Amino acid sequence: MTALAPAAGAASVAERAPKHRRSPERIAAGLALVALVVASLFALNSLGISLPSMLESWSNAERFFTRVGTIRFPEPLELVQLTALTLGIVVTGTLFAAICSVPIADLAASNTTPGPGWRAAARFITVFTRALPDVVLAMVFVLLFSLGSLPGILAIGIHSIGMIAKLFADAIEQIDEGPRRAIRAAGGSKLQQFTSGILPQVLPSWVATVLHRNDINLRGSVVLGYVGVAGLGLEMSHAFKSLNYSLGLGIAIVMLALCVLMELISSAVRRAMLHGGRASGGPLAATTAEAAVRRPWTAARVRTTIWSWVTAALLIGAIVVCNIQWGDLVTVWAKIPPVAAQFWPPSFGAYDWTRMSGAMLETIAIALAAAVLTLLASIVIGSLAARNVAPNRGTRAGARFLLVGIRGVPEVILAIVLIVITGLGAQAGTLALAFGGIGLAGKLIADSLEEVKGGPERAITATGASRFQRYAAATLPQGTPAIIGHSFYLLDTNIRAATILGIVGGGGIGYYLLNAGQGSNYGVVTAIVLMILVTVLAVEGLAMWMRRVFR
Amino acid sequence: MPSPIIEVRDLDKRFDRTLALHGVELTIDRGEIVVLLGLSGSGKSTLLRHLDGLETPTSGSVRVLGEEVPRLRGRRLRALRGRVGFVFQQFELVPSLTVLENVLTGSLARLRGPRLGLWSYPRRLKLAALGHLDRVGLLDRAYQRADTLSGGQQQRVAIARALMQEPEILLADEPVASLDPESSEQVMALIREIAMDAGLTVVCSLHQVDLALAWGDRIVGLRGGRLVLDTPTEGLGKAEVMEIYGRVATATAELEAIETELADASSEARPEHAEPLAEGAGR
Ligand SMILES: Nc1ncnc2c1ncn2[C@@H]1O[C@H](COP(=O)(O)OP(=O)(O)O)[C@@H](O)[C@H]1O
Ligand SMILES: [Mg+2]
Repeated sequence: MTALAPAAGAASVAERAPKHRRSPERIAAGLALVALVVASLFALNSLGISLPSMLESWSNAERFFTRVGTIRFPEPLELVQLTALTLGIVVTGTLFAAICSVPIADLAASNTTPGPGWRAAARFITVFTRALPDVVLAMVFVLLFSLGSLPGILAIGIHSIGMIAKLFADAIEQIDEGPRRAIRAAGGSKLQQFTSGILPQVLPSWVATVLHRNDINLRGSVVLGYVGVAGLGLEMSHAFKSLNYSLGLGIAIVMLALCVLMELISSAVRRAMLHGGRASGGPLAATTAEAAVRRPWTAARVRTTIWSWVTAALLIGAIVVCNIQWGDLVTVWAKIPPVAAQFWPPSFGAYDWTRMSGAMLETIAIALAAAVLTLLASIVIGSLAARNVAPNRGTRAGARFLLVGIRGVPEVILAIVLIVITGLGAQAGTLALAFGGIGLAGKLIADSLEEVKGGPERAITATGASRFQRYAAATLPQGTPAIIGHSFYLLDTNIRAATILGIVGGGGIGYYLLNAGQGSNYGVVTAIVLMILVTVLAVEGLAMWMRRVFR
Repeated sequence: MPSPIIEVRDLDKRFDRTLALHGVELTIDRGEIVVLLGLSGSGKSTLLRHLDGLETPTSGSVRVLGEEVPRLRGRRLRALRGRVGFVFQQFELVPSLTVLENVLTGSLARLRGPRLGLWSYPRRLKLAALGHLDRVGLLDRAYQRADTLSGGQQQRVAIARALMQEPEILLADEPVASLDPESSEQVMALIREIAMDAGLTVVCSLHQVDLALAWGDRIVGLRGGRLVLDTPTEGLGKAEVMEIYGRVATATAELEAIETELADASSEARPEHAEPLAEGAGR
């Protein structure tokens, strides 16, 4: 081989080689990434997350349990009522969001929108409702409706529109255009094109989206209790406030079980839809049109019908349980102007700018620190869960199982429990957030790694590289753009979650939000919400930029 | 010449129901340039993959560079693979990496541990990689992403990656089947030149008879997993190859398939392209 690269020629090759040039945008994005990583490490440090402090919190927890003694649950009848009310509010809120999302998604999808102006407006609604925390909405609605189920339903409903409408619109954009074109060609109206051409195609994905959002809403409903929304969350916040820790923990455990149960049900429904789909009829025995006019009751049709009625009954039941004061929806309009006036102008009230920006920074620090911890863990677990990386099947199955298990744990409830037990605020919150994130991030990373092209991996194997070398040279580089995308998605959700965390004692801006709400300093609430909005939108913008640069 | 560099004895390979290779016997000496000829499905890829330890035989023996390949495991298998370069039909570069880093991955067998990013390779190897890129005429593309190159350029990068291994044997599995005639000609000429310069042993699978005759020193024909032809190309005409194929084809359907394949091959390769290749081959 020396004939190919003689020593003298090598130097000249180095001279003739082009300089390694990157576009300025890519350099900027790279620097931003590095800055984020450095900031996250600082955040970890400033929050005081370290092994010794974790060990100390363990002894705190032991002391806590000796002090509190046993865990207590509410009376059975009360427990059933509270559970039913919580589920009712969550399901009705999600249903409300799903119904509102249909027209918004129709306006937002590129292939169904009547015009770019409509599209921009619809996209704005989805971004805005998603950025507005449901807790803040609940605070406002509690003022408007006094107590009852409507504040919870509307807070959940309006906040959920953001995610549901966006995913609905994505599903519409992915349909096969043929059927709709055929209906248009046959003279169908716009509405007919939608119901016959689009709806049948998007329905499975839409149902999956709604079920997924319903799980998220159930997990988040605990926090709504802290600002006065009726249900298990409210009882739990009362219990902790009156230092009745054993009852508070009991309710937290009930909530945890409910979340796991709901997750199991919705994943079973999703699976059934994926495999079963809509039952197709067999060949018809009838020979005349008159006889064939009645569709035969096959087993599949019976099953579909029964499930449809059960679903409808459950939905109606959820609405009935809420005992909605429909009259309030009429009288509320008169109350809006005075309440709105209380929220304006935004001000920091008794606080000064340094304290508020410090609190906001702490929230961002919690989100960043949790994100790095999650990423470190989920790149390891996610890689082991990828078929083309795992050393053997057992490892992959084990890692996948671990990820599913972690995904089942609702992080806010975990945070509440950790905060109460360890007596630590921000640290406990960060760890809970970090742990909860692994489930989804690990799964997304594993799936992305499995999707990379196999050819380059085989080529690297053929050069004599080891498994680990192949992973670094072929698998990881192909998966990196997806992993960067997932990281920003994680940061995005973490910022929102970290805000919420403060409300349950996890440090950061949420604490001041709750205080301002309870002290009726609504101008302060507005100021804090504006800060949160700016942060969330900034992160979202950063994420979009990164995804574009690192394609 | 001492012992042969490649020695395959009575090789059988069965996938579930198909017998992909049956009783294959093949001996190749150092420095030979051999074409594996056969229709698609005849077992060319499977045979080549056995030579690099990418497939384990159902029975029989595969000796490469003095090692019994199916017995090798772990570090020793990787060391053997490092001494054998492999060029794929679909190039199989890592699309998001630069051309230079793709070439550098050819040195992994000689390095310890995983590498990520250009900075993780020693300067000495970077210079060598640039040298190989220069050799295949793509020095100016060193820092472009691999997926911004044309097919022919990507295949040349893949050749540079194989050279980076400093191989003793170069295996190529239909290296030009995905390329246009012009790039095909360039790539085949390049492989031949490099092999001659460095004294490499080359085994290259092809399905076009014309190209095989013009390019190789020796043709090994496969049909239905059996070796049916093994002859030097010198003084061999296309008609003779076809005749040998015809003699061993038992069913008329097989004969027809061979004829269509040959007709396709000759209509694809335009005469003006066949000429310079023939010149390059006839030293
Ligand atoms: N991994 C595999 N699993 C099952 N069958 C295979 C596999 N690889 C190759 N075969 C079969 O072996 C035979 C030879 O294939 P191959 O070596 O790819 O032929 P060629 O490269 O000459 O086109 C074909 O019948 C093919 O279907
Ligand atoms: Mg092949």
